[in-house]
Amino acid sequence: MLTIADHTFSSRLFLGTGKFASAAQMQQAIQASGTELVTLAIKRLQLGKPQDDLLTPLRQSGIKLLPNTSGAKTAREAIFAAELAREALQTNWLKLEIHPDPRYLMPDPIETLAAAETLVKQGFVVLPYCSADPVLCKRLEDAGCAAVMPLGAAIGSNQGLQTLAMLQIIIEQSRIPVIVDAGIGAPSHAALALETGAAAVLVNTAIATAINPVTMADAFRQAVQAGSQAYQAGLTSSSSLSAASSPLTCFLEAL
Amino acid sequence: MQITLNQQVISCSSVQTLQELLQQHKISTDGVAVALNNTVIARRLWPEVTLNSGDDVQLFQIVTGG
Repeated sequence: MLTIADHTFSSRLFLGTGKFASAAQMQQAIQASGTELVTLAIKRLQLGKPQDDLLTPLRQSGIKLLPNTSGAKTAREAIFAAELAREALQTNWLKLEIHPDPRYLMPDPIETLAAAETLVKQGFVVLPYCSADPVLCKRLEDAGCAAVMPLGAAIGSNQGLQTLAMLQIIIEQSRIPVIVDAGIGAPSHAALALETGAAAVLVNTAIATAINPVTMADAFRQAVQAGSQAYQAGLTSSSSLSAASSPLTCFLEAL
Repeated sequence: MQITLNQQVISCSSVQTLQELLQQHKISTDGVAVALNNTVIARRLWPEVTLNSGDDVQLFQIVTGG
């Protein structure tokens, strides 16, 4: 079981809700994934355009809703977005993300830490999307964040755990859950994150843009479960030399 | 009087509170947040906060995202 702040999750797979072809497909994928937490974004309301009822089915499914601050380029903007998100969803949980550069969407560590410090003081349960930087992750932990969400690779890039060596250090040092976010493009990437000791993974693009998102969601569910189970079972160490699994008793020498 | 609603100048003679403004524009409340003159207004205050001429009201909504 995974506990973040006061909330317990039996699934270690979190889902982003962006990029699905339809709301119905998103709902089916959520169900197939077994997730208990999905992320949402906030934007300016378009007057005169009918509001899609996105929230009713999500609320009925009982899963935790985690609004993000996507679009914020500075700590100041992120704090404003956080206050909006808290009112819109009536939750103090927040995925803090500040990425000023749209080309790589790399999180700004300085603005993120500054915003996290303020938001924690304002009573938010802060889960910051951040670089896979062990020092930054410790600083975010010290600031009172409920978890850290270091990136595996650039958002939506599907490149997998490019930051694996840094993630290993972050996981080893962290006293709060480490959720690998961004870059996870295949179930094997998610399994590796869990095998490495990540508390959870957040996946969006790899599921939402798959040819069959619902089947892919199920594949991720299984991979996350397998990775988590393998971590708990204790992976054996690797070696550059072979180690025989069958007896080498020279019983054929008489031939 | 005139106010700005999501960057559009509108007239609202009868509207008095934020709540009434939202009702007038048939805006559902779940998933919606309101900022008045760049300050986020808590939902419980929507029925109490009254609008003044020249106010800048911005409405935001929850959408899908990662």
